[in-house]
Amino acid sequence: MLEGAEFYFNVDHGYLEGLVRGCKASLLTQQDYINLVQCETLEDVKIHLQTTDYGNFLANQTNPLTVSKIDMEMRKKLCREFEYFRNHSLEPLSTFFTYMTCSYMIDNVILLMNGALQKKSVKEILVKCHPLGRFTEMEAVNIAETPSDLFNAVLVETPLAPFFQDCMSENTLDELNIELLRNKLYKSYLEAFYKFCKNHGDVTAEIMCPILEFEADRRAFIITLNSFGTELSKDDRETLYPTCGKLYPEGLRLLAQAEDFDQMRRVADHYGVYKPLFEAVGDGSGGKTLEDVFYEREVQMNVLAFNRQFHYGVFYAYTKLKEQEMRNIVWIAECISQRHRTKINSYIPIL
Amino acid sequence: MSGKDRIEIFPSRMAQTIMKARLKGAQTGRNLLKKKSDALTLRFRQILKKIIETKMLMGEVMREAAFSLAEAKFTAGDFSTTVIQNVNKAQVKIRAKKDNVAGVTLPVFEHYHEGTDSYELTGLARGGEQLAKLKRNYAKAVELLVELASLQSSFPGSNVPLLISSQSWMRESEKSSIG
Repeated sequence: MLEGAEFYFNVDHGYLEGLVRGCKASLLTQQDYINLVQCETLEDVKIHLQTTDYGNFLANQTNPLTVSKIDMEMRKKLCREFEYFRNHSLEPLSTFFTYMTCSYMIDNVILLMNGALQKKSVKEILVKCHPLGRFTEMEAVNIAETPSDLFNAVLVETPLAPFFQDCMSENTLDELNIELLRNKLYKSYLEAFYKFCKNHGDVTAEIMCPILEFEADRRAFIITLNSFGTELSKDDRETLYPTCGKLYPEGLRLLAQAEDFDQMRRVADHYGVYKPLFEAVGDGSGGKTLEDVFYEREVQMNVLAFNRQFHYGVFYAYTKLKEQEMRNIVWIAECISQRHRTKINSYIPIL
Repeated sequence: MSGKDRIEIFPSRMAQTIMKARLKGAQTGRNLLKKKSDALTLRFRQILKKIIETKMLMGEVMREAAFSLAEAKFTAGDFSTTVIQNVNKAQVKIRAKKDNVAGVTLPVFEHYHEGTDSYELTGLARGGEQLAKLKRNYAKAVELLVELASLQSSFPGSNVPLLISSQSWMRESEKSSIG
């Protein structure tokens, strides 16, 4: 790709970039969150959301209003926007969108495989799949008897095929392997996405590569943290770390040997970016968890992506920020409906 | 003494001795029944007190558990379908035992763990800590529910014999007051 995206970008993608920036401007602000936190019931939340860009999205819902209905309607809205962007995109932006949907597709495929193994009906699983991860061969999943049939018949047509080839060693699927399979697929997906962005070059690489590096390192840290005290061996754990982050290769090797949180912290102290994040973690109850700190950093990086123009990162950043906003609203709504207001301010502020 | 409470008897010394023996028998029977009804009442009151305490605690624990579910969903996303899909054997099971109080057998439930946690690796990549807390909270809730079920099933079990024995006691008291 030639340098100087400002000459060529707007021809193909200018309309969509303008659209996504408009959508970003309508994300909820700090004032909106303060109003939501002060609501007493879910009906108040609905009234407040009517004044924002969400408008009357809950107008067709019957009483009583529940948190899951709010979540469903918000997700439908995000999907409509995403599909609109995707349908109007040209190459290479459409490949970028395909990469973005791969993570949802991985979750859907794992769900379908599980259901096929337990001989559940495909229709009820399809309802539970994430709409952004739809692919055309989904309904055909139930014809396969074993996982390798499934791969050869169905999945080889999807964009997920190369990721499966990296982990084709399993032929038996029990619960342990399902989660390992999910994480291995995600690792190859992340590495492929990173390579795509890097090869694209230009501003997109400058914005997307640090974001994807952070995502890779974050996964490595969280997998390590969650595997303390489980049956996952250190070698297995090391195969799940994505290699496209700053921690590769020495950091990942040190992490694989870590046995508790302090050893992990010492690994992070070698890297200037992660040292302050670990210092911000409170201990035990009260204070932030490591995951909260990582979420905040991710939101920070996504907001900064909008400071540059003429790159694809704005679409990725907008989708992630919108999902975080959805999680925040669901969190506030749950606190209100369960009348448990002590932690209502632990949402992640965006703007 | 009214007419119908009178026992028709021939006033002889033998009849008096027999009547005295009958009176003694009736009084002993009445004392035993009183002891039984006292023991059952005591047990009944204990169970009632424990039921009230457990129900109050239950409200708190369920609230805490539902909130930790919301926390886990915030960090880990929606894992409900994964959990429902992977259900196979129960990890917490219940045994029923019999407890004997003053001759009345009451059922008691006790829970025991069997097998390993099949959801150990769920949330490996996000939300693992919150999921662990969630599992702990709901395990506590289940244990409390088992205890409550045990108490509530022994509650009518002790109530009925209590009523029967107190009725018999009252009849016996009447009988002994006649003699």
